[in-house]
Amino acid sequence: MPKRIALAQLSSCWGCDQSLVDLHLGLLDVLPELDIVFWPAVVDYKLKDLEALPKGSVHIGLVEGSCRTKEDEHILKVMREKCKVLVAWGSCSVLGGVQGLGNQWDFKELLERKFMKADTVTDPRIPEENLPGFAEHIFPNPSIVPFEVLLPGCPPTSQNTLDALTALLTNKPFDLPNKTVCDQCPMERKEKHIKTFHRVYEGKIEPGKCILDQGYLCLGFATIGLCGAQCPSVNTPCKGCFGPPPAITDHGAKIISALGAIAEMEPEKLEASFPDPIGSFYFTDYASSYLSKMKGKNRGKKK
Amino acid sequence: MTEDKIIRIQPVTRLEGHGELTIKMTKAGKVKDVQFNVSSTRFFEKFLEGRFAEETPRIAARICGICPEPHHLAATKAVEAAWDITPPPAAIKLRRLLINAKQYSSHALHFFALAAPDFLAGPLGDPAKRNVVAIIKALPDVGKMALQVMQFGQELCAAIGGKAIHPVTSVPGGMLNPFSEEKRDEYLKRVQDAKEWTLKTVDLAKKVVQDYWDPITKLAVTPTYYLGMHNKGNLEIYDGNLRVMDPTGKIVADFKPKDYRKYYGEYVANHSYATHVYYKPDGYPKGIWRANSLARCNVADKMATPLAQGALQEMRDALGRPIHATFAYHWARIIELVQAIEEIEGLLKDPDIVSTDVKLSDVKPKKGDGVGCVEAPRGTLIHHYWTDERGIITKANMVVATNNNIAGLEKSLLMTAKQVLEDKAHESLKLPEPMI
Repeated sequence: MPKRIALAQLSSCWGCDQSLVDLHLGLLDVLPELDIVFWPAVVDYKLKDLEALPKGSVHIGLVEGSCRTKEDEHILKVMREKCKVLVAWGSCSVLGGVQGLGNQWDFKELLERKFMKADTVTDPRIPEENLPGFAEHIFPNPSIVPFEVLLPGCPPTSQNTLDALTALLTNKPFDLPNKTVCDQCPMERKEKHIKTFHRVYEGKIEPGKCILDQGYLCLGFATIGLCGAQCPSVNTPCKGCFGPPPAITDHGAKIISALGAIAEMEPEKLEASFPDPIGSFYFTDYASSYLSKMKGKNRGKKK
Repeated sequence: MTEDKIIRIQPVTRLEGHGELTIKMTKAGKVKDVQFNVSSTRFFEKFLEGRFAEETPRIAARICGICPEPHHLAATKAVEAAWDITPPPAAIKLRRLLINAKQYSSHALHFFALAAPDFLAGPLGDPAKRNVVAIIKALPDVGKMALQVMQFGQELCAAIGGKAIHPVTSVPGGMLNPFSEEKRDEYLKRVQDAKEWTLKTVDLAKKVVQDYWDPITKLAVTPTYYLGMHNKGNLEIYDGNLRVMDPTGKIVADFKPKDYRKYYGEYVANHSYATHVYYKPDGYPKGIWRANSLARCNVADKMATPLAQGALQEMRDALGRPIHATFAYHWARIIELVQAIEEIEGLLKDPDIVSTDVKLSDVKPKKGDGVGCVEAPRGTLIHHYWTDERGIITKANMVVATNNNIAGLEKSLLMTAKQVLEDKAHESLKLPEPMI
């Protein structure tokens, strides 16, 4: 018997969906196992169809994206109610995603930049009619409703999603590994003597050799090893888009302490190398950082 | 309230992004207004501020998981323009290969997964069967070919960009990873099959056009302005000038993307988080334009490759120029699919494509601003960044592809709603027997 599955998209780029579709011919094996009851990107069922399903009647629910709008929050709660096993699918869902970087500012500033102050805007206003309204602060979905399974990644690879689905379809556990991108990386590593950090446009990255050893900020050492070291394998530094392994609670804090230990430079020079620590160390997971959570709490209090 | 009925479609399905539809009707059953409510936005314009400019190609790619390559490249080009740097010629060829690979897979995805269900199951078909999953079941040969076409494009994107979804290799000054001879040889072999599938897709599209000739030429024929890129008149997606065509077919502007602010206006509708972009000199709503495949085919004199040019000529012979038929967007998409595969083949055969001279090593940031413009599958894409002397973003303005289409889409929907809900057009239009 195929299992009933619902796939919901909150605010996101839809890359997780594209990644699932990128199984391509592999889809021919997976699709017969699934009875799709909601997947707006692909199938014509509407929100009211999802809302009308009995509680707990869907075997597997995948939630992509994070809650930027009040409608996102509603859909998340409906998915929780309808699905037996709920999967936080992708870094937006698990960690808040790149849009979590917006938590750095008061929400009003975000609205103003886009709708009031953009160079090309001729009729500034904040749109309101027949629209859901915004969530002022991005929280990772697991701090809003409980999830049974977490699968980070920006996006998770097609294989990651297939592995998770296969486990769920065969009633096996799906746990995240505690290994890092470095554990999967084929580049040759030597002893580190980092005296200066280079920016990626400077010089040339030498192929085949550890990118961090060469003085470029490659975050593989603090990032969960799920992707197969996709970026270092093509001569490009890891930006940490899958977030940290489960044992690390705060990605950026871990990165900063590790850099302090490995960089052979004065703390002032290290600090000056990274004038934007939030952007550099919390690419897709600022919303799940201690700093951002504190800010979210304070915003709640102000109200 | 004068309206007695409001129809809400929530969400609009088989759409990339978050959209809902509101149709307001009067008591007498007349359509009063149609709103396309884009119901989410994430504020990239703000949270790019303060970031290293060279990281924007990776951050801004996250605007769209279906078309991250155009964002990756528009961001790179914006920073290069701000810092006044020109990457090596071989890097530009690699980027052209990357954007064409994306054009190819995205157009295939759109045609087979987003659009084809309407035609194969029929507009009045069972919603449960009106999707690509049902197509794969009912028409396994078409389904398999669709998956292979998408796979070729996505895998080629990954071969150049490192990852297909959120590519990583383009940076200000060039590309971080050259294309190996081994990979080039592999894709040169595979491109022959892809070309064959493409031509079969053209045949399928032509059959759809024939079958649906009545609705294509009668429903949602919506005159607007059109915006698109060209290079000496040829349809172009990586680098060129922008043209604006008015509803009569006259080219009213032809300009460098860096001057976009003279021609672009963004109207903020009260019912959409996505702005309505329009031709500023003629004001809103008169200057509403559309971008994307049909707009590009309208503004270009011709296609850049021979087979695609033949296909364009066929469409122009049938529907003229400019074409206002909204359904012809699908036809134009297939014409561009042909150009994409021809461009891919040409670039793979170019010996420079495996050059290792693909990155400058002496790039220096400077204070300034730069515009990066490419054509995304859904339309003209502009990233405009300001950086300080350390190369940190101080301001960003982005006009993304889809926003060029929202107002035109709404106009087209209003017309269709009147035709269907008031005049019952769907009862008199000739529709074929559904294939599934």
